[in-house]
Amino acid sequence: MERRTFISTGMLTLAGCWLTGCRHNQYAKVMHPGDQEMVGSHQAGGETYKPLIDEAVSKLLGRHAAERQVGPNGLPPPPLRICFVAVENKSAEEIGDFKDQIYEQIDSRILESHVFQPISKRFVDAGLLQTRLRPDLLMVPENMRSFAATLEQQGQPFDYMLYATITSGTTHENKDYQRDYLLTMELVNIHDGQYDKQSATLSKGYFHSRLSRFGSTAH
Amino acid sequence: MVSPYRKAGRSLKVVIFVPLLALSLVVGCKTHERRLVTIRESFYSGDLQQAAKTLDEGTKRDRHDIDVLLLERSMVELAEGNPKQSEQILRQVRDRFDYLEQASLGETALAVLTDDTRKSYSGEDYEKVLIRAFLSLSNLMVDGQDAAAYALQVADKQTQIIEAAAGTQDAADGDAKNPKLAYKQVALGPYLHGLIREESHSNYDDAARASAMVVSWQPDFPYGQADLERAQRGRHSSPGNGVLYVFTLVGRGPYKEETVELPTTVSLLIADRILSATNKYSLPPTIAPVKVPKMVVPPNTVAHVGVSVDQQRVGTTETITDVGRMAVEQHEAVYPKIVADAVVRRIVKKGVVLGAKEALGANEATLSSVALDVVGIAWEATEAADTRCWGLLPDKIQVLRLELPAGQHQIGLQPLSQYNSSGPIEQQTVTILDGRNTYVLANFPDERLVGTVLTSQP
Repeated sequence: MERRTFISTGMLTLAGCWLTGCRHNQYAKVMHPGDQEMVGSHQAGGETYKPLIDEAVSKLLGRHAAERQVGPNGLPPPPLRICFVAVENKSAEEIGDFKDQIYEQIDSRILESHVFQPISKRFVDAGLLQTRLRPDLLMVPENMRSFAATLEQQGQPFDYMLYATITSGTTHENKDYQRDYLLTMELVNIHDGQYDKQSATLSKGYFHSRLSRFGSTAH
Repeated sequence: MVSPYRKAGRSLKVVIFVPLLALSLVVGCKTHERRLVTIRESFYSGDLQQAAKTLDEGTKRDRHDIDVLLLERSMVELAEGNPKQSEQILRQVRDRFDYLEQASLGETALAVLTDDTRKSYSGEDYEKVLIRAFLSLSNLMVDGQDAAAYALQVADKQTQIIEAAAGTQDAADGDAKNPKLAYKQVALGPYLHGLIREESHSNYDDAARASAMVVSWQPDFPYGQADLERAQRGRHSSPGNGVLYVFTLVGRGPYKEETVELPTTVSLLIADRILSATNKYSLPPTIAPVKVPKMVVPPNTVAHVGVSVDQQRVGTTETITDVGRMAVEQHEAVYPKIVADAVVRRIVKKGVVLGAKEALGANEATLSSVALDVVGIAWEATEAADTRCWGLLPDKIQVLRLELPAGQHQIGLQPLSQYNSSGPIEQQTVTILDGRNTYVLANFPDERLVGTVLTSQP
């Protein structure tokens, strides 16, 4: 190798190393309404759960609001007392810190609707702690009576129990896959056992490369 | 016009200056391995003040290795009974490591001219994960407000590490060549997440999912199946009872030692002799051995810690995370890359000397060729293996879960060796709250407690 070539190549390499190899600090920005939100590349995130909650809760509340007729005295009936027990994750993914947020979002939407009067989560948690009952076993009649009695003692009687369940179904296509997320809201009348259900679904494709994603949207 | 002799002289100065500069950067630096010996000795003998003093002196003097020294400091704080300070330090190091783990080509270039100790230390992969696990543990000892978030970060970090390694592979051979896929996952993360969710009494599904992970990641954890069963069908505790989790850090953890990679050294020597015999200009012979770090796990004398409640023996702690084994396995997974980096470093150094010889026209017979060979050998001999590591980690993290009636209890902890000998019993009063978790943490590097027994509810 020529001396000049050797030295100039070496210097260029070193200069390139110094200039392009800097570490970067992390930055953040406040996302405003209308800003393009991030899309979870490996699992569901806000882009999945928010529309699911919006759709399922709106439909459920809308149906019950329509059913509630004005009473004989011309006044609307008092809101039904509802105990939102839990969000259950039965999907193939960890939902991590989203779970509590899903609960809070659903709870807030129900409270704002004035169709139902939800019981504070703190009372619900205290009731579960005191009775040591698992949320998934509250449908056993004896458990339900015990739980309802405990909340009544705390001055929090209720008519309905609400469960939100997240499930998923996965379809594979070579290295890519599609996952369908389903949020189901199940409302059970504790007096007569009748139940109502409302679901919302959202499908998301996960691609192993950008090219693969482009190919998928092209056809 | 500059005379050819003057030009050659200038080139010679440059070529000699670069290795000498590298030499000056390396010589005189006390290796982390030697410094760690002093710190470990103080810590294991129970002299936490001396360990803290050595660490504080080190952080003042050596800004380059401050993060790894702070990791040791966090362990001293935890043993001294200051979980809040420990958490604060760990948080600082976690964020620094996240920044430093980005590739810096400048540092990489410097490391090629010197050795890996010139790179900022961004932690071994298992250390990055364990920082989050210890953050969660420390936080549980304070108020537990952030413990769940830290526990979730354990699994997140593990996924990030594996995905980052996959990202550096070709898409075609991706997973097949990702050595980090073989990493053992830290079961302590989901274990902590599970116990926090179970305590809420309304998130048994999360607890069951976390327990399933623990069983899958640490199948030899004897309490795993019972935990899973309870999360799937049982309950946190009976009315009037609470739960006590006893966490113990047992044994002396892994550390790194400098060792000679003999086969590589010999191969390089043979290769450079062949090239020297066939080329016009000779290469400096590989006399200086290629040094690489080796992970060492000292023998662990503590097998379990016996736990008694109100003078009644109730069980022993069992391993939820085998830190020593994990460190060795991860080191083995990345060892070929460490050796490859060392070989590249040697090739670059030999290339620089060869380039200088070519530039000067210094063939084998000349004095300048011999001088450059000597400089080359000295340059290679300055290399040191990067032995920086989190040296005060335990060999194993163990746990025992106990359901106890609410109220005050006297807890006794006794280290038990594999040879049926046992250390003194350490007592601690804890308060169990109805339907809630209480945590105890103790450090048994040997058959004697180091520091104090920490509890979240004294």
